[in-house]
Amino acid sequence: MSEIYDIGYRHYDGPRLGRAYSTRALTVHSLRAVFGLGRTARSKIMPFALAVIMLLPAVVSIAAMALIGQRAMGYSSYAVIMQAVLAIFLASQGPAIIAPDLRFRVLPLYLSRPVSIVEYVGAKVTAMTAALFLMVAVPLTLIYLGELLIDLEGPPQTKEYLGALAMALVLAVLLSAFGLAIASLTPRRGLGVASVIAVYLLASASVPIFYGTLISTGNDAAARWAWLVNPFWLVDAVQVWLFDTTPNSEGGYPPGPASAAIVVVLIAVAVSVLALRYRKAASQ
Amino acid sequence: MHILATEGLTKRFPTVTALDQLTVTAGPGVTGLVGANGAGKSTLIKIMLGLLPPTGGSARVLDLDVATRGAEIRGLVGYMPEHDCLPPDVSATELVVHLAQMSGLPRTAARERAADVLRHVGLAEERYRAVGGYSTGMKQRVKLAQALVHDPKLIFLDEPTNGLDPRGRDEMLTLIRRIGTEFGISVLVTSHLLGELERICDHVIVIDAGRLLRSSAIAEFTHATRSVTVEVEEGATPLAARLTELGHTVTPHGRLLLVEVTGPETFDAIRDTAVDLDLCLIRLEQGRHRIEDVFREEVAGV
Repeated sequence: MSEIYDIGYRHYDGPRLGRAYSTRALTVHSLRAVFGLGRTARSKIMPFALAVIMLLPAVVSIAAMALIGQRAMGYSSYAVIMQAVLAIFLASQGPAIIAPDLRFRVLPLYLSRPVSIVEYVGAKVTAMTAALFLMVAVPLTLIYLGELLIDLEGPPQTKEYLGALAMALVLAVLLSAFGLAIASLTPRRGLGVASVIAVYLLASASVPIFYGTLISTGNDAAARWAWLVNPFWLVDAVQVWLFDTTPNSEGGYPPGPASAAIVVVLIAVAVSVLALRYRKAASQ
Repeated sequence: MHILATEGLTKRFPTVTALDQLTVTAGPGVTGLVGANGAGKSTLIKIMLGLLPPTGGSARVLDLDVATRGAEIRGLVGYMPEHDCLPPDVSATELVVHLAQMSGLPRTAARERAADVLRHVGLAEERYRAVGGYSTGMKQRVKLAQALVHDPKLIFLDEPTNGLDPRGRDEMLTLIRRIGTEFGISVLVTSHLLGELERICDHVIVIDAGRLLRSSAIAEFTHATRSVTVEVEEGATPLAARLTELGHTVTPHGRLLLVEVTGPETFDAIRDTAVDLDLCLIRLEQGRHRIEDVFREEVAGV
């Protein structure tokens, strides 16, 4: 017997969890969206292809350690060498978690619930940060595990590995705050992608121009500052200051904590842009 | 208990005053909020949700002050916006489950509630398809479902029948009436069409240019008027003349006559006159106000 009974409306008297739970759920939801999980197969292609590319040098590095007993790539230079891939990842996936809610005006559905706009933006930035961190941390961890298994001569570079992980987190926070701030300025996803990539290209293309000009005029000390225009070298400069690693730039960076101060200021600027943007979006 | 109460509520934007000294209360059940476009309906809802700070005055929803207990209020109410608000690339189920979690429901409970609520609003198998391919009627149902998923005490429905065809409109209105009665959830529904609200509301609030025009039970809007509509096959003019002679107030209304009732003798007079003039009497009907008429009179009187 198959009969459907209309049991009528049932009230919900189960638990109602707080805003911390909702914010966490939104973070996980957004992190899944970054990698296209729970979406169509087409939206998984880009993030997974980029994740695989990020892993390739780690695989090569492990192979080099196993076969010829030499390190192919230092922990401290991984993010700088792979910067284009990370920039494309940020540009293509950042707008994916920001733009639809603005474009299709989904935001009011969140704001009419207990979660606040600060928690909403916080969840989005956290998700993007976690995604970028994973993109760097997973290959680094693979290399480290490879190093432990292969048992190279000399002690394992645990300090370098942990330092690189810490810097990966700093880089992830800087990139996601900045990338999402730029992406949030337009409700159109394609325009967001183009804006983020344009800012990155501008930043990285201007480095050799500034550096070359300053070097040719014999202004070596000033030339070192040129590297800090690009966020990846900027974070590398912080790494050099904090962990005394080998600089990944020609001629090194300006000494002292200036780069760290710039990172903090940039993150603060990006967060303020996000706050202003979403305060406006929330009042509409 | 009032589900909502405002006291001298004022909201000024740089160029317009959206709400002007609005003092109004509404009890449980279905309350209609009526006004022309730009009368301040949506602004009032946003203040009630604690999303927009009022310029002056105060407002309480479910006995909580909107200025200080906004988050608590938003946990207890549901909101269906007027505009499109659905991302096209997710299914109705995914969206409603996710939004239930945003209201604090644990994942398994969110799934159960979403399935329940989508069934109640009448979405069957299509709820697993991407929202982008839905008709306007289906989208409105998803918007309603997300407002109900956390089992609120009160829901704000902003123009829920917008863009629906007559059948969709009927179904939506029936559903809203069920929410207010069977589901036991109080409803504040806005519309610029009074006729719709007449069918489903217990109470109607009429605002215009941010000011309260009227707030009263639906029965008071549509109470029986002291007039009777008379329809005869032909000879309406001599009938009107004879009745006027007899001292009755008669207003011609197209082919119909509206006769003011002074007592049972009015009905006798109409019957007798029709017989005397040998007219064919088709209809004799007690007149009822429609809220449109009230609204028109009051707007004209302002």
